[in-house]
Amino acid sequence: MKRLRSPVVATIAALALASAGSANAGSNSLAVSVDRTGISTALGGKFVFRSTIANRSTTPVRGLIAHLNVLSLRNGVYVDPEDWSPHRTRYLAPIPAGGSVALTWTLQAVNAGSFAVYVAVLPQSGAARPPITGPSVYVSIARRKTLDAGGALPLVLGIPALLGALSLGVRARRRAARSQADAG
Amino acid sequence: MVEAEPTTPRRAWTIVGEWELRDLWLGGRGLLLTLAFSVLVSVLTYLTATNRALNFLEQRESVNLTLQVAIAVGALLALVAAADTVSGERERGTLESLLLAPIPRLQLTLGKLGGALSLWLAAFAVTIPYVWFLGRGVGIVGDALVAGALVGTLLAVFLASLGMLVSVFAASNRVSLSLSLFLLLALFAPTQFPTGAQQGWLGELLLRANPLTAGEHYVGKIVVDRHTWSQDASWLASPIVAAALFAVLAAVAGARFMHLSRGSSR
Repeated sequence: MKRLRSPVVATIAALALASAGSANAGSNSLAVSVDRTGISTALGGKFVFRSTIANRSTTPVRGLIAHLNVLSLRNGVYVDPEDWSPHRTRYLAPIPAGGSVALTWTLQAVNAGSFAVYVAVLPQSGAARPPITGPSVYVSIARRKTLDAGGALPLVLGIPALLGALSLGVRARRRAARSQADAG
Repeated sequence: MVEAEPTTPRRAWTIVGEWELRDLWLGGRGLLLTLAFSVLVSVLTYLTATNRALNFLEQRESVNLTLQVAIAVGALLALVAAADTVSGERERGTLESLLLAPIPRLQLTLGKLGGALSLWLAAFAVTIPYVWFLGRGVGIVGDALVAGALVGTLLAVFLASLGMLVSVFAASNRVSLSLSLFLLLALFAPTQFPTGAQQGWLGELLLRANPLTAGEHYVGKIVVDRHTWSQDASWLASPIVAAALFAVLAAVAGARFMHLSRGSSR
């Protein structure tokens, strides 16, 4: 009986996986790849990378969701992924057997430092199995002080001061003209 | 014998325009409004340059933010000046002498409209150094200024004409100013809609139909997204139509309905 149990269980499991394969993602049949593994940019810059989700099985897969994740590789850096990319979740169309889907992800460098970005694919059915993830993309973001606050002072004080002086000059001239007219 | 050189008579609207400019700028009102405008743009520029939350954004976004505020407030100044043109003269008792002058009312209207628009021109001139400061080094100053001048002028013509139209028919100067500002706020309301409401065909239609939101959208596309001038040109349709339509309406209303008091036939 013990000898029989293993092949029976294996057969049932194989049948179950095969039947589920057409409706859900078969974990081993999917692969996620990215077009690059490293990106360098400056703070505020936008960058793009592409990921490909390939179905290596002989049956089509449907009901997949691809999700983009961003995290800091250094402690103490707050990351709000929504700021990096407002469109991080993609509901995928069915992928035919042996086919693939390419996704383009556009992000904005919101924090300076070292970050990792990766794509995870999981089934829409909510089945409790680990998501399939692609290789992480290392993102190095250089700090960039785009504007110089000190340099702004002469401008932000100078122009109102100039206009204020002009306004006072015109007012004084008008008063002088008025008093001259009154005297005349 | 010296022959007298033939001289071209000045068009009446240029004379009225000159009166208006003198009144506005030598009277001090124009300078005070421009001073207030420069203080506002200065505060905005300083915050953009110092605030980390704003500073992390691209320089393009900083330029866009400042330019959009400058266009909106510059056009507001033109609206406020235009809303005072007829109802204000009526209340101050100076409209009578103006109407008695041998100047066609259409020319009178055009001259007054030109005077009101001078506030926008001054506001734009004040904005130039700020845009240069925020956008220098990334090659966007030229594009930003041309886009700002184009869209800002269209919106200023539209709003000044709207203000003048209201001023011609308003029973008092207070009504004219209040109604003009209310209309301006109503036009700006769609910018405060949540992002979700701005999407979809109805949201886009609303944004495209409103000259203010359409104009500001076009500026954003040129300055931030580096689009070409023709790529989003369709967004300029409503600012162009509104500027032309309201300028004609203001001219017709000024020519036909500019009376000494509301309710009198002439």
